Amino acid sequence: MADSDYEFEGDNGSDDEYVAAKSKSNPRPPPTGKKRAEEPPRKLHAWETDRSRTVAKELPAVAEADDGSIQRSVQEREEERKRKRLRKDTKPFQRGIIRHVVLVLDLSESMMEKDMRPNRFITMIKYTQEYVREFFEQNPISQMSVLGMHDGLCIRVSELSGNPAEHIAAIQDLRTPRNPEGVPKEPKGSPSLQNALELARATIYHTPSHGTREVILVFGSLLSLDPGDIHQTIKACVRDRIRVSVVGMGARLRICQEIVSRTNAGDESEYVVATDQESLRELLLATTTPPVVRSDQAATTASSDSAAALMMMGFPSRVIEDVPTMCACHGILTTGGYRCSRCSAKVCSLPITCPSCQLTLLLSTHLARSYHHLFPLRNWVAVSWNRALEQGSRECVGCLSAFPEKPTTKGDVSKNEAGDAQKENASLDKTARATGEQQADKDDSQDQKASESSRYECRACESHFCVDCDIFCHMVLHNCPGCLSKLNPVPEAHSNGDAGMTG
Amino acid sequence: MNAIDGTDRQIKTDNSPPPSLLAIVLDTNPHAWAHLSSTLPLRNALANILVFINAHLASGNANEVVVIAAHSHRAVFLYPTPKTPTPRNNSNGNGNGAANGDVDMNETGAGSMEDGGPKDVSISDNPNKYRPFAVVESAILQNFAALLDATTPAHLAATPTTLIGGALSLALSYIAKSTLLRSPLDSVVDNPLSALADSETLHTKRESLTSRILIVSVSGDLANQYIPVMNSIFAAQRKRIPIDILKLAGDTVLLQQASDATGGVYMKPDRPEGLLQYLMMAFLPDTTARRSLVMPSAGGVDFRAACFCHRNVVDIGYVCSVCLSIFCTSDLPSNLCLTCGSYLSLRSAQTNPPALVPRKKKKKKRAGGADSTTPGGSTPAGSGTPMHS
Ligand SMILES: [Zn+2]
Ligand SMILES: [Zn+2]
Ligand SMILES: [Zn+2]
Ligand SMILES: [Zn+2]
Ligand SMILES: [Zn+2]
Ligand SMILES: [Zn+2]
Repeated sequence: MADSDYEFEGDNGSDDEYVAAKSKSNPRPPPTGKKRAEEPPRKLHAWETDRSRTVAKELPAVAEADDGSIQRSVQEREEERKRKRLRKDTKPFQRGIIRHVVLVLDLSESMMEKDMRPNRFITMIKYTQEYVREFFEQNPISQMSVLGMHDGLCIRVSELSGNPAEHIAAIQDLRTPRNPEGVPKEPKGSPSLQNALELARATIYHTPSHGTREVILVFGSLLSLDPGDIHQTIKACVRDRIRVSVVGMGARLRICQEIVSRTNAGDESEYVVATDQESLRELLLATTTPPVVRSDQAATTASSDSAAALMMMGFPSRVIEDVPTMCACHGILTTGGYRCSRCSAKVCSLPITCPSCQLTLLLSTHLARSYHHLFPLRNWVAVSWNRALEQGSRECVGCLSAFPEKPTTKGDVSKNEAGDAQKENASLDKTARATGEQQADKDDSQDQKASESSRYECRACESHFCVDCDIFCHMVLHNCPGCLSKLNPVPEAHSNGDAGMTG
Repeated sequence: MNAIDGTDRQIKTDNSPPPSLLAIVLDTNPHAWAHLSSTLPLRNALANILVFINAHLASGNANEVVVIAAHSHRAVFLYPTPKTPTPRNNSNGNGNGAANGDVDMNETGAGSMEDGGPKDVSISDNPNKYRPFAVVESAILQNFAALLDATTPAHLAATPTTLIGGALSLALSYIAKSTLLRSPLDSVVDNPLSALADSETLHTKRESLTSRILIVSVSGDLANQYIPVMNSIFAAQRKRIPIDILKLAGDTVLLQQASDATGGVYMKPDRPEGLLQYLMMAFLPDTTARRSLVMPSAGGVDFRAACFCHRNVVDIGYVCSVCLSIFCTSDLPSNLCLTCGSYLSLRSAQTNPPALVPRKKKKKKRAGGADSTTPGGSTPAGSGTPMHS
């Protein structure tokens, strides 16, 4: 720890841990504390983590071991890396599904640093476009606006809207303007956090109270040049219940930590620092998961206006026209579109707020897109060899790819193991069943590790899956193929979601 | 068919189209097929589908097929044949059996293992049959027979519908894995350094296998699987896998939306007995070929939402901001959401007109802060701009 200078806030864990804490998206401090306690006391810096250690430790091991185990260890590490990406939003918290997000990009000269390739600015532009796309994929009925901290000012890159194409085009324009007269906004000058927060606050000040108000700062600088007292601004943000998340670069800053902790009710897990471009991307994407609604927040706002609301929404039908007519959103002639259910104005695309009567217009499928946040798929657990043998699983339930057999190199040892395992299992089985729910919770909170048997088990249906299906089902599909392939497998299977909503 | 096959090959050597993976989800709901038996008996339908599968396999050397049965109580792979798990000690297994259908698995498993495994070797030695066809055919027929044998009257009584959601999920995860395995860049095991590469962004380049899903559906009413099916639709949309629907009987808006959202074909033939014709004409072209064809379109798709309280179709609905349930009325009993029980206020549901940030406060701030370069202070004038949002 001799290397840590004043910019590191104490020894707040390795950078890997920031990822974990972040994606856990559980703002309650106690679990975090517990997790800390479970971990080895010594915290690792980026240069001491997996990738660098790989070189130091794995190589000798590989040299000594025979071919089979090289393959094994490499594969295991690969699986571990894949699983790390699993978002751990598997507990059914109440989430702010309707989000109002201001994305603030750092366009100050520190973004010209070349620690990311080709430089921070270009990397950020690239990833934020992907981020916007993913954001609206995950939060189809949310709104976003993009701001930029440029040369001491805060400039508006795109207006608050729910149209990802608009934002992506605007972000692209920063680097390569579409219209020829446009000048690219090359990073310049110093950033001002205060200006950024003030403009962001103004942008989402009027949004209805049932939605979240969030500011996500991508902040590459190590300073902020503010015109006034930033603490006043922070206070104002807290008052307007704006939550600020910061994705920093390089090092942690005291002021960012303060902003984040004050606006997130003391929780600092929303302040993360990217050490390289891959981690920048992952940290950004982690914020696409809707934030957990804090109970204290609900309580404070309940008096004035309840956090939950019944929103009037229109589900328009598609119209097909032979003759072009004027659309209400762009004022251009188009054929076809959707007709507002209340005022019959024609709009081009959904979801949108009706330009003439302000009714939110969307398809029921847009709502369905958010259901997997409400009914998340439980994380699957790594399967030990004993469990794998007990179940006798030979191939992945999802994709039918064969699982590896238990290596039989150490013959008599494994026999003993098996003997022990049977006894062990008999007792384990009972306890597992008794404390099934608690166990599941524990699994959720544990770090996702690679399985020694390359199998991952869904606790509800006891099916075994390969790591690729594990990733696919949790990141894309949000269904458990095993649970859904059996009629009423076990009651818990409904944590997957089909019970309550349709009832 | 031989002629077609021959001509195709000629072209293929020059510029081979990507291999195509066809996932067929066959709705085998016994109730619905019993209904259809006068026009299209299941036996004939299965024969037609086998011909269709052969046609698909014949139209490309590397083409693959996966067949999944969406049955009333299970969704299983018919082809390729799944290996059944071999639990270590059955005597010990009585604890975890009964409750979760493992017993079922074992029964069918025993069947398919006993005759499935060895018979793979002794597929009908008909010299006039192209061997790959024979392999697929016998596997499908055997597994299907095993599935039907394992179906008890109790299973049928339990539910009128089929597990389309499960079958779709199986199909999607199978396709995802096959795509991953086919990807030329999948050398992670050999080269650990590529682990550092960004696998997600490489996905677009990796699409060397074009896949599609065909659902041959006979039963309606999938309401109880709304969320799983929706999740599957979005997954297919993200992975650019079209879902084709051949609706022989019944009607589901859900499947119509599936084909519309994923760019698949939706067909509801008036005369189900012409199944083979429909299959060959509308569903044989793969995604590559479809780019140069005019595919049958679904016409109007019903996108309207049904309320969760009465299942009425609504134009304007009231949505709970917590759980996104749709209600047809704002008059909920004591203002509690029927699904999640949150207290809901309608007042804030009325769209707030955008409020301007109070001017005064801003002025003060600007005065307090340094002069000049504080457009942060002055920009809130622009806060009125997001009016239309
Ligand atoms: Zn328009
Ligand atoms: Zn309107
Ligand atoms: Zn798998
Ligand atoms: Zn499951
Ligand atoms: Zn109703
Ligand atoms: Zn609700």
